[in-house]
Amino acid sequence: MRNKKVHITIIAIFIAIISVSLYYILKEPINLGLDLKGGTQIILKPTERGGEEVTTQSLDKAMLIIMDRIDKLGISEPLVTKDLSKNIVIQLPGVKDPDKAKEIIGKTAQLEFRLVTGTFISIKNQKWDTLKFDYEKGELVIDPDAEKVLLVDDINALVSGNLYEIDGELLSDPESEEMLLVKYSGEDNQETDVEGSSTGDGSESNVDINIDPEKVIGKIIYKPETRELLLVDYKDESELGEILVDSRNDAATLVGPVLLTGDKLAKVAAGYGTNGEIRVALSFKDEGVEIFKEITSENIGRNLAIVLDEEIKSAPYIKVPITDGDAEITGISSIEEAKNVELVLQTGALPVNLQIEESSSVGPTLGMDSLNKGLYAGIIGFILIIVFMLFYYKGLGIYSALGLIIYIIIFWGVMSGIGAALTLPGIAGIILTIGIAVDANVIIFERIKEEILKAKSPRIAIGYGFKNALRTIVDSNVTTLITAAALFRFGTGPIKGFAVTLSLGVVISMIVSLLFTRSIIFLMSGISRINTPGFLGVRRRSGE
Amino acid sequence: MIIAGIAGYFIQGGFNLGIDFLGGSLMEVEFTRDVDVAEVRSVMNDIGLGNAVLQRTESDRFIIRTTPIDEETKNEMLNSLNEKIGTTGPPLQDRNVAPGFGKQITKNAFKAIGISFVGILIYVWIRFEFRFGASAILALVHDVLVTLGVYAILNREINTSTIAAILTIIGYSINDTIVVFDRIRENTPMTGKLGYIKVVNDSINVTLSRSINTSLTTLIPIILLLILGTTALKDFALALTVGIVAGTYSSIFIASPIVVAWNNRFPKYKK
Repeated sequence: MRNKKVHITIIAIFIAIISVSLYYILKEPINLGLDLKGGTQIILKPTERGGEEVTTQSLDKAMLIIMDRIDKLGISEPLVTKDLSKNIVIQLPGVKDPDKAKEIIGKTAQLEFRLVTGTFISIKNQKWDTLKFDYEKGELVIDPDAEKVLLVDDINALVSGNLYEIDGELLSDPESEEMLLVKYSGEDNQETDVEGSSTGDGSESNVDINIDPEKVIGKIIYKPETRELLLVDYKDESELGEILVDSRNDAATLVGPVLLTGDKLAKVAAGYGTNGEIRVALSFKDEGVEIFKEITSENIGRNLAIVLDEEIKSAPYIKVPITDGDAEITGISSIEEAKNVELVLQTGALPVNLQIEESSSVGPTLGMDSLNKGLYAGIIGFILIIVFMLFYYKGLGIYSALGLIIYIIIFWGVMSGIGAALTLPGIAGIILTIGIAVDANVIIFERIKEEILKAKSPRIAIGYGFKNALRTIVDSNVTTLITAAALFRFGTGPIKGFAVTLSLGVVISMIVSLLFTRSIIFLMSGISRINTPGFLGVRRRSGE
Repeated sequence: MIIAGIAGYFIQGGFNLGIDFLGGSLMEVEFTRDVDVAEVRSVMNDIGLGNAVLQRTESDRFIIRTTPIDEETKNEMLNSLNEKIGTTGPPLQDRNVAPGFGKQITKNAFKAIGISFVGILIYVWIRFEFRFGASAILALVHDVLVTLGVYAILNREINTSTIAAILTIIGYSINDTIVVFDRIRENTPMTGKLGYIKVVNDSINVTLSRSINTSLTTLIPIILLLILGTTALKDFALALTVGIVAGTYSSIFIASPIVVAWNNRFPKYKK
């Protein structure tokens, strides 16, 4: 009699759980993953910038800034998280065209003011052209037929025919194949000055170049991890300058150290300048005003490069010291771009460089299609399983059908309640857990059948059946949980969703079959009319 | 089975790895009318993307897989598809993976598989014996190899869903193996009377109907998914179907014989 009370209590508890589950199912619609409801997911890999390593703090700051930018773009319910490999995962539900979002999110918005120290030019057939910088390969693009590659101090002067100086010549060291910048004397190294240069045969690569180590200024190295092309000291590799691309003419330009950065900005505004050109007006905080004044007064007659995200936007000539701390970025092609620049500068510079590793967008129709077809397969599968169980285990099949329905209600309720996202692999996970839930029943029922075949009474057989099955079910499900945990730890996005559904399913199905199904079978076994071996799906052979 | 899979691997020139591993772009485009492969192919050829992989998912839908392309090329491709054939709008799905990212995914997949193997080995070791754990792992390795083999033979694309499916198979197949082992453990005290081989054999026999019934009930919805599902679901369901079948027979024909062979080599129980 005591037993009976326990079973009734268990069933009462389950009824309570089911009610709560139903409440959540009705209150909160299940949270669909991006692959089902449509939207965009972007995975960004942070890399160090400016020699500073990626730390948890810098990553967290980057995430806050990204969140801020997404908010300003007006995207609802965005989700910014980081995964195990320290990638930033951004989920934007309902965003069909991710291009704009991608553009804004990935912008590091590092604004720097650096002095221009020179521009690289190549000379061929008495004409000069600026060098380009191949970001993919991380090297300067040098025409193999070029007669000379020189560094000139003022490209504008060269264009306008004014006075300029040649600061060095770029030569390839025949032994180490390193690119070296050597002093340009005007006489050495085959040819003299720009105007008179032409050896005619253009077979300079065959000429044996002797490089005097005394004259080497530095060498050019590429740091792939930061995508920096640097001019460094020949001996101790200390940084002498960085080569950047000037967005106005694509020229590889050598700039000095960073003198001032965007974090000293007070106000940013996109708009049009007095001559109607597109610009972003900048004004500095007090601290920035001071530094700006210092820079401009010390470097009159030089060009100050305004560098946004490693690209020179403009490099105005410093005529007089600027004391009010106002500056502007020009060289912007459209007002939309200017607005983007304004937005990213307002939200601040990202402390890390971000590279888009993966982006995926799913339209809502495709997702709904998957969901509907998955549900459809699930429902038909569910019916077929119940038919099979009724056919094979007769009366016991009714219990498993009941158990399955309860399992699905609780599972659904928990998913809604904790707000776990249902993903495409998650649907497959649910279908698999239905299989696992049935498995628990099958193990129990097979054990019960065995005990009945040992000529035990149904009531005793049920007791032994559950007792023996318990160990099997726990052992087999724990191993499944181990796999699910591994999936959760190392998976991203949809796979993680799958791991969640799998673990929830395993745990809930175990609880339902070991507690609910057990209690209901025990209670029902008290009713002798339905408690025949035949009802339990066993036909005793005659003579047994 | 494994040999056939390895043969398939070489005949097909390795696995058909998806963009998750190689990097690249994948777009599913819906056209305003029914189109065939040749038509889409000719448009792709015109814009210099002739080597793209085309997969027809519906009479008016195609999945187009290319090597990594930039935004400009992609827009050019979508524009010319729209002009020459007519598309219903932006792609239904659009995925881009950077070439180096695949390494990270592969690394994580191996880590996940490795960790679940170690976890299972330790758990089975604690609950049973070390030899059971090792045999179970060998059976799992078999299941994974068979599934990958089928993918190689059919030249199906392997993507992150496949990896998830393989991990699921590991979880499911170990379930199956444990049920058999559990019986062996239970019946081991009778070894003195019957001999170990007979004990193992009997254990397999009594669990056989359970193994078959469970596999059937699990396969029913998965096969339905294979028939009714969308492309992504079908991919997943295929791996699961193969893995569950392999997992069921490997528990009986691989894991258990290894346990017996182990006992023959290093007798602990009477043969």
